[in-house]
Amino acid sequence: MQKDGIEFMREYLKNTWDGIYTVLVGMRITFKHLFTPAVTIQYPEVKVKLPDRVRNRLYVNIDDCIGCDQCARACPVSCIEIDTVKSIPGEDLGITSNGKKKALWVTRFDIDIAKCCYCQLCVFPCPTECIYMTDVYEFSEYERANLLYKFSALNQDEAAQKKVNYEKFQAEKEAQKAAAAAAAAKPKPETPAQPSAN
Amino acid sequence: MNYYDIMFYLFAAITLVSAWFVVTTRNVIYSAFFLLFTFFGVAGIYVLLAADFIAVVQIMVYVGGILILLLFGVMLTNQITNVDIRTGASNLLPASIATGILMGAVVSVMWFTDWKIQPTEAPTTTLKILGRLLLTDYVLVFELLGLLLLVALIGAASIARREKE
Amino acid sequence: MYQFFFDLTGNVIISTLAVALVPLICVLLVTLFGVWLERKVSAWMQDRVGPNRIGPYGIFQCVADFVKMLQKEDAVSSEVDGVLYNIAPVLVFAGSFAAFAVIPFASTIIGSQVEVGLFYMLAASSFVVAGILMGGWSSNNKYSLLGSMRSAAQIISYEIPTALVVLSMVMLMGTLNLTQISEMQTGNFWHWNIFGGPGWALSKFLLIPFMVVGFIIIFISTLAEVNRTPFDIPEAESELVAGYFTEYCGMKYGMFMLAEYGNMFAVSLLVSVLFFGGYQSPVGYLGNVLGIKWLVSLEQFSWFFAKGWFFIFVQMWLRWTLPRLRVDQLMTLCWKYLIPYAVINLVIIGIISLL
Repeated sequence: MQKDGIEFMREYLKNTWDGIYTVLVGMRITFKHLFTPAVTIQYPEVKVKLPDRVRNRLYVNIDDCIGCDQCARACPVSCIEIDTVKSIPGEDLGITSNGKKKALWVTRFDIDIAKCCYCQLCVFPCPTECIYMTDVYEFSEYERANLLYKFSALNQDEAAQKKVNYEKFQAEKEAQKAAAAAAAAKPKPETPAQPSAN
Repeated sequence: MNYYDIMFYLFAAITLVSAWFVVTTRNVIYSAFFLLFTFFGVAGIYVLLAADFIAVVQIMVYVGGILILLLFGVMLTNQITNVDIRTGASNLLPASIATGILMGAVVSVMWFTDWKIQPTEAPTTTLKILGRLLLTDYVLVFELLGLLLLVALIGAASIARREKE
Repeated sequence: MYQFFFDLTGNVIISTLAVALVPLICVLLVTLFGVWLERKVSAWMQDRVGPNRIGPYGIFQCVADFVKMLQKEDAVSSEVDGVLYNIAPVLVFAGSFAAFAVIPFASTIIGSQVEVGLFYMLAASSFVVAGILMGGWSSNNKYSLLGSMRSAAQIISYEIPTALVVLSMVMLMGTLNLTQISEMQTGNFWHWNIFGGPGWALSKFLLIPFMVVGFIIIFISTLAEVNRTPFDIPEAESELVAGYFTEYCGMKYGMFMLAEYGNMFAVSLLVSVLFFGGYQSPVGYLGNVLGIKWLVSLEQFSWFFAKGWFFIFVQMWLRWTLPRLRVDQLMTLCWKYLIPYAVINLVIIGIISLL
């Protein structure tokens, strides 16, 4: 259907006017934003305050750790590895902040933070609340090996020493036991089956 | 040999070499692009002849209009680059006779014309004179050409438009 | 300017090259500063900060980018058409740079005073079209080809309203020489063409609305000719990776970039010459008051650059305001709106100039 001339002209002029007017409206809006201060923040210099219970890098307060291995077992991605050595009598390991007596040397407490999925499941089982999540989130490294965090307070030599001590203690105990057994066996060598009879 | 001569030979060389490639190359796109340089060389020669307006119009009309249209045609035509273009020679005898006669005519015109040689002067504008001549002495030709172009335009539009049902 | 260098060196070739060097440096600086301004303006309009790391307000960001671009490996796809692929960026840049030959930067800083200056500027842009088509075709990439076809179609379409407005201005001024056009608008800002030109005749006041219409038409159509948003369908990122320079990298890509910003600056200067008095100061010169000759040239140069930068800013402003037009909308705007208005404007200005 052919539109008649006047109506066509009116529509044409209206289109022209709309085109110019709407562009000017848009330009006014962008011009206002030209002087609006930036809403973005300058990240490395300015940081947004994090919420209270953020989950970021794990930290272990090794002084409180009793080496119970519960966190390692809770971890769904197995990023925590703990080795412990039993202490020998006479060694005072101190007590944790909530009064538990420590009985194990934690010779290794490694967290591979590259594997960590920040689920926080390791935090809840801890009886001494020594493993927790901090608000540190900038810990990128150039080497992946640097992301393997070692929390153990003992260095390798000390750990080896503790192990040797324990083994020596164990050996001594074994020897004592053996000696005791031998001593116990000596008086009545002829009745070895007697205790079972009692 | 002054700078003008050097420039002239440069532009002449551009024109001739690219014109040679236009007719010998087997790729249509190459032909079209070499035509660009031919037009450019011709425009340069116009400038050296102090015909600045013609030179600019040459570039504007031929490079800006016709060449682009040509390239459009070539590029929009499906499979045109795969078409086997024959650039070999056929009908050698009549062709050489015809070109020989044409060549002879051009050379004889060049030879027998009484060329006016005058010292080169700084190029002055041709614009005002050209405009005045176009709208006084040559106004009929000018208007007829305009009419012809208009007819061509309307014809092209009516051929290209879709029939309404 | 040529005479100045000729007197200085006494050698034709050296002085010619020196004259050509001035706009080249201008184009390079305009590109460097333009890229920075583009990023800053876009950031400000989107309530961001923009580049701010290198130098004060990040002003050296583009220098760093330029150095990076120079160092880049010139990776060329094995399927490209070698010769044309390498010529295309040069041709595009040459076309946009050639336009600067006739632009009068100040009354003493003029590359060439050709009588056909305005026409020459329009003609130089046709080399850009040829270069774009060349680059798009030789890249052997469908996006490049589509981009270059769109670009060429757009540029040759929008050349028509540009030419019509230029024609009406030429009719009014009676010359194609850009220097003379600038000189005619000398004096105060009410002598500028947008305010009806010099003199206080009745025609001056009649002309003003039609001059504004002409200015709007030529601004829109030159915006389209330099492929800027909202007319950037040739390099529409969301449809064609980057349009006709998709396959280019390193300094060849840099040439396209230089050409784009050179074109932007050239059309801004063209608009300011035609309607805003070119290098003329709106109020008068301090140099004339103090009687220092070179200060006048410096002021003219600064005014011209200020006007050019203002229009570049408006181009950027529009870029971050409007969304991209569709191809059919683009052609509708050109053929159904700009050209009829330009023709009517041409006729009316013709009648008024006879008064």
